[in-house]
Amino acid sequence: MLVSFFRALKFSLQDISRNVWLSVITITILILAMFSINTLILVRVVSSGAVEAVKEKVNLSLYLKPDSLESEIFELKFKINSFSGVKSTQYVSKQEALDSFREKNENNPEILQALLELGKNPLSPSLIITPYDVNNLGNLIEELRALESSIIESRDFSDNSMILDKINNITKRIDDIGIFIIAIFILTSLLVIYNSIKVAIYTHKKEIEIMRLVGASNAFIYAPFLLSSVIYTLLATVIIIMLTLPLLGVLQPYLELFFVDYNVNVVLYFVDNFILIFGVQFLAISVVNIVASYLAVRKYSRV
Amino acid sequence: MIKFINVSKAYKNKIKVLDGINLSIEAGEFVSIVGQSGAGKTTLVKILIGEDLASSGQVLVGDWDISKISKYEVPFLRRQVGVIFQDFKLLPKKTLKENVAFALEVCGKNQAKIDRVVSSVMKIVGLQNKMDRYPNEVSGGEKQRAAIARALVHQPKILLADEPTGNLDAINANDIVDLLLKINNFGTTVILVTHNREIVNRLNRRVVSVDAGKVVSDQKHGKYII
Repeated sequence: MLVSFFRALKFSLQDISRNVWLSVITITILILAMFSINTLILVRVVSSGAVEAVKEKVNLSLYLKPDSLESEIFELKFKINSFSGVKSTQYVSKQEALDSFREKNENNPEILQALLELGKNPLSPSLIITPYDVNNLGNLIEELRALESSIIESRDFSDNSMILDKINNITKRIDDIGIFIIAIFILTSLLVIYNSIKVAIYTHKKEIEIMRLVGASNAFIYAPFLLSSVIYTLLATVIIIMLTLPLLGVLQPYLELFFVDYNVNVVLYFVDNFILIFGVQFLAISVVNIVASYLAVRKYSRV
Repeated sequence: MIKFINVSKAYKNKIKVLDGINLSIEAGEFVSIVGQSGAGKTTLVKILIGEDLASSGQVLVGDWDISKISKYEVPFLRRQVGVIFQDFKLLPKKTLKENVAFALEVCGKNQAKIDRVVSSVMKIVGLQNKMDRYPNEVSGGEKQRAAIARALVHQPKILLADEPTGNLDAINANDIVDLLLKINNFGTTVILVTHNREIVNRLNRRVVSVDAGKVVSDQKHGKYII
């Protein structure tokens, strides 16, 4: 069994080396297919990073009258917390709002000077509400709009869910286009593999004829060609790994600049999920290629 | 050993290539099957090696009915029926020894057995001193000897020779026939398919004449009559 395997492997490697340019083209197509898959994975990672970043910024603010009593504020806070869509409510006092404002503008002396000249704290206390589900803010906003309280001065429901919708829409569109591109590449690689095996069979037509003549089993006749398709996939996988990780390394600093303060690390993602990403790609494409090779051998090896 | 029982073969155009063939060949016989081109000789060969199936009738090799042989059984049949052809079917990029060894390699035999068997059959066919030559470095007769050696590696019970002398001059053709007789003397059933009148007449063995897909004559010590 082992002897037969190594002989089949030897014949397979001979096929690949004797048709070197065909092998190069086949592997290139496979690399393009895998590149498109990995690009789609990358887009998914980046877009989910973007979604998380925006989600963290989604909160709803109720600005309260400056002279509101803390007891009234806490009563309101308690009431809001009882809403089913509310995850938490944070009370920001006038002083805290002022401190935060100063901190944010510490490099802007003109604003700080204007604040000083004003002579009093112009900021209002507020309640910052964090929702449970940022994708479903509508009901909560309605509830907060309907909330009646004499201490509420204004309400800020600047709806970041629109941004989320946009990101989700773009991601979905990229997904759709990506899947279409992947389908084209996989179909192309299937045809290329089919043709490569067909050419390899023609190259070895006489050998196959003699194999059949002297009683080689069908399994032994098929094996070198099926092995070739797995070797093509393996080589393409190794090359795509060697290309993808350095490319991600180049891309990462730009993503860090874009997602300041948010943890979007594509290199880490690909390294952490190395087996899942590249292993599954290798297995899936191997299966597709083995099927294509099997069909080609079945059709063209009848000599 | 081999029995054709009312075997017919027709292709898609419905024209019968074989028409009710009844033939029995005993173990250890040397039989020449003769006939003109298109008589149906090659179809008989194809059916005997499982390359083609009979449209009707029964073909027995030993106790094995190969008239409806599956493609998975064909390799096992071919290890029992050695076959040689007019065009030798040797791989040009392999030496004679490698060509012979190839038949065992592809059947999963280990290297020690391959070395032993190849050396033995090369001696039988008289090529022990030319084992490392490539097919284009030897004569037609030697190529056919190598093909015979390859056909013998599985120690087949039957050796089927389809026009083995077609590409050879008279001297080489006679040498090959002598070799076939030698192999027959070892107990192997030899079926020689040919239209070489001189060889058939010289052999003075059983001759089965085929014409238009039918056996028209079967003589124990026959001559080429068609």
